[in-house]
Order: sequence, then C-alpha cells, then structure tokens
Amino acid sequence: MSDQQRTSDQQRGAAGDPERASADAGVAAPSSPSAARRANQSDSPPPDLKKQRDEFLQSFSRSARMTEQLVRDYEKLAERVVQLEAENASLRAKVEADDAIRDLLRKIDELEREKTELISRYTEAKRTYSGLSERVASFEEEFSNLANLFVASNQLHSSLSPRRVVRRIKEVLAQLVGAERYAVYLLNADGTALAPIASEGVPSESLSPLPTDLVDGTGRVAEVLRTGAAYVDEEVDTSQGSLQSPPAVIPLRLDDEAVGVICVFATLAQKTRFVTIDFELFKLLGQHAAGALICASLQAESGHRRPNLEAFIDLGT
Amino acid sequence: MAEYSCLIVEDSPMMRQLLVFALARVKNLRVTEADDGVDGLRKLASARYDIIVTDINMPIMDGLKLVKRVRTDPIHKDTPIVIITTEGSQEDRQRALQLGANAYITKPIQAPQVIATVKELLKIE
Repeated sequence: MSDQQRTSDQQRGAAGDPERASADAGVAAPSSPSAARRANQSDSPPPDLKKQRDEFLQSFSRSARMTEQLVRDYEKLAERVVQLEAENASLRAKVEADDAIRDLLRKIDELEREKTELISRYTEAKRTYSGLSERVASFEEEFSNLANLFVASNQLHSSLSPRRVVRRIKEVLAQLVGAERYAVYLLNADGTALAPIASEGVPSESLSPLPTDLVDGTGRVAEVLRTGAAYVDEEVDTSQGSLQSPPAVIPLRLDDEAVGVICVFATLAQKTRFVTIDFELFKLLGQHAAGALICASLQAESGHRRPNLEAFIDLGT
Repeated sequence: MAEYSCLIVEDSPMMRQLLVFALARVKNLRVTEADDGVDGLRKLASARYDIIVTDINMPIMDGLKLVKRVRTDPIHKDTPIVIITTEGSQEDRQRALQLGANAYITKPIQAPQVIATVKELLKIE
C-alpha cells in the first residue's frame, strides 16, 4: 500500500470514527467515567480548540466524501473512456469496412469498364479476323485461279507438236474447265468452212460437216465468229447443254481475227455452271490456243527447223 | 517441325503441275510425282510416304488398282489416299471409299479443297 493511500485510509477511518480520530489526533480517550471526569477537569481541551477540531473533522469528512465521490466519478469516467474507445474502434472498423466496400465497388466498376472494353475489342478483333479470313480465302481462290491460268498457259506453249498442243487444249477443257462434251473447230483457209480438229464425248458424225449457216447464219457459232466475242450462258445448267445449244462458244483468235471456235456442249455432272476462273480460261484459250496450234503446225511443216537468225534481225528497230 | 511427304500419281502433266502448285502451299510437305499407277508403286517401294493423291483414270494401272495394291503393302496400308476423278456420282464415291480411299475429290479441282483435304488427313493445323 502506498503512503498516499495509507494516509487516505487513515483520514477516512478518522472521519468515520470520532474516538479513533481523537486518538489519532493525539487525544487519549478516558478509560472510565471517573477518569473521564478527571480528564475533563484536567486535560479537556479548551472549547475553541474543540470547535476547531470538530470543524476540521467535519471539513475532513466532507473532503473524504468529496474524494470518494471524485474517485467514483473518476472510475465512471474511466469506464466511459473504455466504452468510448471501444465504440471508437468499432466505428473506425466500420468506416474502414465501408471504405473497403467503396474500394471494392470502385474496383468492380473499373473491372466492368475493362470487361466492356475487352468485349468491344474482342468483337472488333473477331470482325477483323473474320474479314482477314475472308481475304485469305479470297487470296487463296485468286492464287488457285492464277495457278490454273499459269499451268494452262504453260502447257499450251510448252510443245511445238500440233498433236500435243491439241491434247493440251483438250486437257484444259476437260481438267480445268470440267467440260464433258466439247469440240474444237478451225476455219479453213478461205474461211468458208469450220472443220473439227478435236472433240470429246461427241459422235464424230455429229460434228462434221457443220452446216454452213453456222458461219453465215444467225446461230451462236456464226455470231461468235462474226463478232469475235465469246458466248457464255450463265443462266443454264451447263451439264445439261446440247449440240444445238452449247452453253459456251469461245472464239479462237489470231491477232484480231477469229479463226475457229471451241464449243462446250456440256460440262461434267457435278459442274452445273461456269465460274470466274472458267471465263479467264476461256479468254486464255481464245487468245493463245489458235496461236499455239498454228505455230506448232508451221513448225511441223518446216520439219521442225529453227528459223535463221536473219528472220529476227531488225525486228526491234 | 514435322515434315511430310506426298506422292502424286497422275498421268496428265497439267494436272500434276496444278497439284504440285496447290500442295506447295502446305508447309513442310515434300511432293513427289508419278506418271501412273505402276510408277507410283515403284516410288512407294523405294520410300515411305505420308499421303498419296491419285487420279483414277490412268493408263497402265488405274487409281483404283493402285489403292488396292497400296492397302496390301505393309508399309503403306494405313497411308491416307485421296482419289481425284471426273466421276462425281455417289456410287463412284462409295466404290473408291470401299476400296480403301480416305477422301474423294471430283474434277475440276479447286486448289483450296485439295489443300484442306490433305491438311485434314495429315492433321496439320
């Protein structure tokens, strides 16, 4: 126990017990009534001192009560402080939790924005990819078409044998165009008759001789020969064509003159219409087949002799 | 990266050239050409191929006979075979597939179709 507490206890005890207070104050209590009397007669304090003592004791007692009250108040306040601290901590936690929720909501908003942006970018990428895929498919188709044209051209001009050139023309028609029945005609020297030089899937008696009105008349072949423009029917089922109405008649041109025609009477069953590459192949055949044929024929006629260099001198000047 | 080998059996030089052009678009695919079925068998005997592309109508030995022979060859019995033909009917298709062909392409061929078929059979992405 501290000195301060001890003093306080002593003070409280004195305030509650007047006899003890007086003993503590150095006043001995009389042990018997006679002794008290004697004491009163001999040692009793003067009345003013007694009054002072009483006043002191009353004051001391009041102070003690006040102190007790203060201690109680202090204890209450301490409890209140503890309570407030707890409340404060709770509120702080709540505020922090609210902040965390706000942070989370903010993050959710940000993520939602990011998600929307990503979806938008994904959609855009998908559209771009789809566009690219279409372009790749388009390039592949174009490449395929160019390969067909290159191969056809290469094959047409890779031989100086008329037989082989005819075979290559037939291959282009059968393998690349998908023609099942067709014939190749050339005009005779004076341009009065069309002679079939090659055919496939058509009885030979049906081909030769062609009626002369095909050349002079109004039929498809006659018109193609006259105008030099190809006839290609894009509406009909090309696999169902006939000798009377071929779905394609292609002029064979030498310089600007039509010297023959290719008639496609019908295509393979699985090919029911002409497509882009067929038009290009028709153009190629029209421009190159006659030249290749005639060149090969002249070469054959000359005994496959190469022309003298003199034949080429001064061509470029 | 894996390298594949392909044998083209086709009597028409034009078609061979076209097939070579088309299959050159497939990465890591080495292409060998044969003029007909007999030439094809000779080449199959001297090397191993991952895929065979063959025409049906050929002189000396046609494509169907070739397919039959390949299916009895212990080395190539499981090799994928693509048939190319002018015949487009369902019966022809069934016949070729029954003989052991894995795919059937009708003429006139389209390069993208040939490429897609070969890639699919070789399981190339």
